[in-house]
Amino acid sequence: MSILVNIQHVSKKYKDASRVAVNDLSLTINKGDVFGLLGPNGAGKTTFISMLCGLFPTSSGEIYINGQTHKTHSKECKQVIGVVPQEIALYPKLTAWENLMFLGHMYGLSGGSLKEKIKENLRILGLEENMHQKIVSYSGGMKRRVNLIAGLLHNPQLLILDEPTVGVDVQSKQAIIEHLKDLNKKNGMTILYTSHHLEEAEDFCSHIAIIDDGKLITQGETNQLIIDNNCKSIEEVYLKITGEKFRDK
Amino acid sequence: MKLLYSIYKEYKVLIRDRAGLIITFIMPTILILIITLIQDTTFRSVNEASVPLLIVDRDHDSLSQTLEKSLINSKFFVITKKQLSDEETKKQIATGQFFIGIIIPENASKQLREKTSARIAKLLGSFSGDSTSIKEQRDTTKLNIQLYFDPITKKSFKTTISNSIERIVSQIEMQSMVNSLNDKMKESFPLATPSKLEITPIVNLKEEYASYNNSTIIPNSVQHNVPAWTLFAMFFICIPLAGNIIRERDDGSAFRLLTMPGSYMIVILGKMLTYVAVSLIQFSLMLCVGVFLLPMLGMPQLNIGNNLPVLFLVAISAGLAATGFGLLVGTIATSHDQASLFGSVFIIMLAAIGGIWVPTFVMPDVMKKIAVISPLNWGLEAFYGIFIRNFGFKEIFPQVAKLLGFFAICLGSAYLYQKYKRLR
Repeated sequence: MSILVNIQHVSKKYKDASRVAVNDLSLTINKGDVFGLLGPNGAGKTTFISMLCGLFPTSSGEIYINGQTHKTHSKECKQVIGVVPQEIALYPKLTAWENLMFLGHMYGLSGGSLKEKIKENLRILGLEENMHQKIVSYSGGMKRRVNLIAGLLHNPQLLILDEPTVGVDVQSKQAIIEHLKDLNKKNGMTILYTSHHLEEAEDFCSHIAIIDDGKLITQGETNQLIIDNNCKSIEEVYLKITGEKFRDK
Repeated sequence: MKLLYSIYKEYKVLIRDRAGLIITFIMPTILILIITLIQDTTFRSVNEASVPLLIVDRDHDSLSQTLEKSLINSKFFVITKKQLSDEETKKQIATGQFFIGIIIPENASKQLREKTSARIAKLLGSFSGDSTSIKEQRDTTKLNIQLYFDPITKKSFKTTISNSIERIVSQIEMQSMVNSLNDKMKESFPLATPSKLEITPIVNLKEEYASYNNSTIIPNSVQHNVPAWTLFAMFFICIPLAGNIIRERDDGSAFRLLTMPGSYMIVILGKMLTYVAVSLIQFSLMLCVGVFLLPMLGMPQLNIGNNLPVLFLVAISAGLAATGFGLLVGTIATSHDQASLFGSVFIIMLAAIGGIWVPTFVMPDVMKKIAVISPLNWGLEAFYGIFIRNFGFKEIFPQVAKLLGFFAICLGSAYLYQKYKRLR
């Protein structure tokens, strides 16, 4: 399998911070993987994703996406990525259609192909009938589904999902996960997924990495991790590795 | 295409934000109407007839009638006639019912005629060498017209009013002298038919405002308040703009847009162009208020001068300065509340310093010097230049350059701050 994302000894220390946010992190994500990035609050997941998206530079180390770095090929790297933030990153006073049309144009898409793409995704996620309603009138689950579509419009090779199912009902969660599985299976889309729903991660991810305190603790194929740690589930593996202490002080 | 869609998105977001629309368009309209109506009297007192004057006429003869007629013709006073005692007159002035009270004593006209007649007789007697009669006819008593002033009257204003009345009285005295002289001449030369001596002024003081390019517009409350509050509203746009930026940052939209290839700068450019367009619409709307609405309420009509391209240039420059400031506030502020508080307080301070509330020409010297640091003052001076002094591009350029410089500094500062935050 070819490598899509190659992280080599990446560290990040914020200027005013007393500790390192990401500490000598190295990992690879292959094309077609569904890669779960797990870790407690403050483990460094958001910092890592921000660097991966090219929002700010690393303090040391390199991030390669399709063999290119943000430093030299920012536009090409960003074109590969689709991001679904944890927040509902949509304009509440615009309709779902207007939001998606705007974001599609920002990805450089336009015309009939964009409209078709939006309609198709809205239909798959059960939002076709409500597409001309303002986002402010949507339920939490509907907002999450539109939020997901916004990251998919340009057919990214790597889809980064930051807790995509937080705060949604079972039906919406099911629809989102099934759609993602479909995209991975049919289109070979690589997915980087973070969540605190460990059961969902175990079911969804082919590979998992657990980070804590900015360091990579373990990584591997999901089933292999469970076997290697002599556990019954990823949740057990997670608690065994990260401990049971509260992290968000 | 990206830019056009970004502008379209901002337009959609803006028109669906009712509170934002009220702040953007309704607030400045109301401010212009209220402040212009309130300040109109103050501006008029400097420019036009509005001094309430009480005449107590005990003479009922030519002197009082001529004085009254001259005061009316001066168009400086609103005249009321009453029959009151000295004490009552004083009381009415002291309580502020009138600015000035004039008491013309009983038989004033008769006394004036007698005195002028005596003086003319004395003059003519001197030609005939009758020194005895000259000595006998010497009269040093004066005819007193009593003036009362409201105690709050400024000394300079009191002097101006006194001088005006004194001039009118002098003319009446002169007229009386001429009349007496005519009568005496008729007595001496009964068969002659002399032409009347003209007493119209020979020396004329030609007065006009030292305006530029032959413009003769006199500043009034509309000329001050419309551009002043329009600028205030244009700069107040920084609050919805900063709020828009902060909202995008808080809800993750900025994060998403930053991950798109080359999109965030276009989004920011789209925001700027949209808000500059909004500020131009504000400006046009406020001009319409000054030109069409205020005259309906009895206010003077706003004269926008005759240099529309330069007026448009100043409006764009002010819009850019305001947008740049909003962008900077939105970049630095960490919350919507912080941006609203900081933005509004700062704009109010700049407005106060810059002569929006109180025109700089009535400010103390120290404040006049401080006023020049405010971008709102630069804009206001530019509008004054176009509306009142009929300035062209060359004369307006320094103010336009300052506004564009302010925009560039705000934009540069926002960029550097953003860069600093990303590299942290």
